[in-house]
Amino acid sequence: MELPIRLSKESRVPIYHQIEAQIKTLITSGHLAAGSSLPSIRALSKDLEISVITIRRAYQDLEYQGFIKTVQGKGTFVAEVAESMKEKIKVSVVYEAIANGVETALQHEYSFEEIEGIFQQILSMKKNKKKEE
Amino acid sequence: MQPWLEMKGLKKKIDDFQLGPIDLTVQPGTITALVGNNGAGKSTLLKTMMNLVKPEEGVIHLFGKEFDQYEDHWNQRIAYQPQSLIGCNAFNGKELMTFISKWYPKWDQNLFMHLVDLFDIPIMKRYVKLSPGVRQKLNLALSLSRDTEVMVLDEPTAQMDIPAKQMLMDVLVEWMEREDKALIIATHQVEDIRKLADYVVIMKNGKMIGQFLKEELTTQYKRYWMEQPLSFESVPGEITRKGDRLITTSRSNEAERYFLQEKLAWIESESMELEEIITVLLGDHGERKRPF
Repeated sequence: MELPIRLSKESRVPIYHQIEAQIKTLITSGHLAAGSSLPSIRALSKDLEISVITIRRAYQDLEYQGFIKTVQGKGTFVAEVAESMKEKIKVSVVYEAIANGVETALQHEYSFEEIEGIFQQILSMKKNKKKEE
Repeated sequence: MQPWLEMKGLKKKIDDFQLGPIDLTVQPGTITALVGNNGAGKSTLLKTMMNLVKPEEGVIHLFGKEFDQYEDHWNQRIAYQPQSLIGCNAFNGKELMTFISKWYPKWDQNLFMHLVDLFDIPIMKRYVKLSPGVRQKLNLALSLSRDTEVMVLDEPTAQMDIPAKQMLMDVLVEWMEREDKALIIATHQVEDIRKLADYVVIMKNGKMIGQFLKEELTTQYKRYWMEQPLSFESVPGEITRKGDRLITTSRSNEAERYFLQEKLAWIESESMELEEIITVLLGDHGERKRPF
């Protein structure tokens, strides 16, 4: 495996966005340090079984946002990302995940009160699990 | 970017077999898999790219030019590997290498020796004495070492053993990264399509069903188990329906929008595997789609 990325074809989130988000998480969590090299577009394409067109789009977005940089003839590397930026990304990744969950519930015609109930239920489940550990 | 290969409205009739119309585009840096039923016309189509078969209608542009305006040495920029090489039997691999390498100024002897070593090819043994799988390995070493910009491979792995197939995928990935390259590969191997292809061209009985970005197929073809029986009205992209609750669609985005709008809930959804999708497209349910 080139990178620990797991794609969901069932998800409504476009594939390039999933790749982008997971690489961002690997970077902001420190699992991919600045300067570490990323697989080539073609190698990642084989690994994830996704066309180079889609991989390139994810890499271009990441480069544009300053997470990675490409050095001609050398490859693609993780860029230096400021701590403040990392924090910001962490927050926005979590917000986005919860927002997606709420969106799914709304599409299935849950009311806001019901969604809040589900949220509380999941939270208390997680709390209990943590206590057991 | 200008495509390296472009076919528009290409048609060819051979006896009572009608190929086309074919519309096809190949961009630099991409791998295109050509998939179809037996007798779909894949080999004939590949031959038209090399001007080995002349189409009756339509145009082919290679590196931006029509055939009668092809630059000199165009055939040093594109290499074609047919399903079987004819006229090789009397020679051994080393002799074949000596003939072929002369034609290609970019011939990469190091790559050739690397592939001979990797696939354990006996290059002093006469071609006729080689098993079909070893022949294919030698053919590939003789093709890839030409280091042309475009490589056209007609079912290159059909006879090869499993480890060789796996190794070849890595070889092709590395080959693609040498510089701007394009690979067109006719294949029945789903693994090749899954791991290598960016675009999938599907052909059936001479007709082109479509040229698809791989993800267009793998993320859009889905199966749904509905909570309630469906009415008779068809769902966007509907391909098949089993009973009144299990449905497959080729346009999952639109189908889901429709379900939500009609307040139809589904219990489970699942992406279809490439094998299934190709089977659907080559079966009676395949709907005609325009490229891109």
